Amino acid sequence: MIIDGKRCDGRAMNELRPLKIQAGVLNKADGSAYIEWGGNKVLAAVYGPRECIPRHDASPYRAVIHCRYLMAPFSTLDEHGRSGPNRRSIEVSKVIKEVFENVVVTEKFPKTAIDIFIEVLQADGGTRCAGITAAAVAIADSGIPMKDLPCALAVGKIGNEVAVDFGKLEDNYGDGDMPIAIAPRNNEILLLQMDGMFTKEELKKAFELAYAAFPKINALQVEALRAHYAVKKDEIGIERGD
Amino acid sequence: MTKIVVPGELIAGSPQRIEFGFVENGKTYSSIVGLFDEANPKLIPLEGAYMPVQFDIVVGIIDEVKFAGYNVDIKSPYRGFLSAKDSRYEYELGDIISTKVRDVDEVKNVDLEGARKLVGGEILEISPAKVPRVIGKKNSMLDMIRAATKSEIFIGKNGRIWIKGGNSVLAARAVLKVEKEAHTTGLTERISAFLNEEVNK
Repeated sequence: MIIDGKRCDGRAMNELRPLKIQAGVLNKADGSAYIEWGGNKVLAAVYGPRECIPRHDASPYRAVIHCRYLMAPFSTLDEHGRSGPNRRSIEVSKVIKEVFENVVVTEKFPKTAIDIFIEVLQADGGTRCAGITAAAVAIADSGIPMKDLPCALAVGKIGNEVAVDFGKLEDNYGDGDMPIAIAPRNNEILLLQMDGMFTKEELKKAFELAYAAFPKINALQVEALRAHYAVKKDEIGIERGD
Repeated sequence: MTKIVVPGELIAGSPQRIEFGFVENGKTYSSIVGLFDEANPKLIPLEGAYMPVQFDIVVGIIDEVKFAGYNVDIKSPYRGFLSAKDSRYEYELGDIISTKVRDVDEVKNVDLEGARKLVGGEILEISPAKVPRVIGKKNSMLDMIRAATKSEIFIGKNGRIWIKGGNSVLAARAVLKVEKEAHTTGLTERISAFLNEEVNK
């Protein structure tokens, strides 16, 4: 899978796939973002804070976060079921929810819920990372206060080589895969999953590569938000009614 | 110079109390996408739901009639409560009222008072962040729209606008134009020209 130090799609070991993020793509959602990352096309929408349904989920101390990650039936080569959640997507939803529980300032909105929807329209490996990256932009776009703008990336292993941002082929035929999500302000790890085996040295190398790539992803998230709001710059309130 | 900040962006090297900001390790960071002016340290959000604040005047819709009072939808994550003891009239489901927020407690129970029924007219909803622009400096924008359309207009802090009588269609169009072009300069002149043109048509 590695020829002359290049990977199957011609990338270097530390090279990301082309990444494009756009904020505020949906009118009816409170916040939204669309991401194209290699072959992945993911749409994220955020609603809230709004009344918590079911009611018994609500907490008097903070807003609860509901997350639904779903792959469209047409997102991959094999059919992905009839769009309902399956075992895999329930797990991914849960870990994504936990990522955002650690950064969103939920104490500000007691008794409410924040709903995050992540729809994978086209999948090409690393969809949960693309989903987290897009959802972070969507939450920021909705105006919900957050302590940081999380970003995520999958690192993997091909033979004894470690490489960043696995695509579908590498994911399926590689020897290990490790999605990482961090809060870039203080480099805290928000999500760390692993499939396969990594030696101590490989793990270290994987983290080095990932942490070198995170600033690039974060810069694109910030750029997407700024581009969306640049028009709105002098929008508010220098003229405030008394 | 105002600039756009994003969540997690450093806005001050020293700990400061700024709304929508937070302090960590002696430094102040932004928690929202907003405008920040270093000369006048204040974060202005560009988006977001209406959060009730004491003494705000809002336009609400009666959501539920109970024995003790009314639940009022105030276009916010939280519902307002208007005690029957404090209201002079009996309201019905779906009635539109203007009301003042008397108190908001720590679990966001919103107490309302001083309700007045808004009879007839129509309701327009805009983003709460753009309400100040619709009102204008010292009510300038609002007075202008009122004068040109001869409509009764009532603006709630929660982004609900009640319009009655006169050329209400024109008034609604003007308000929506203000919302859409809220970010541009010279808006008052443009709205004035727009109203003149439409009135003299």
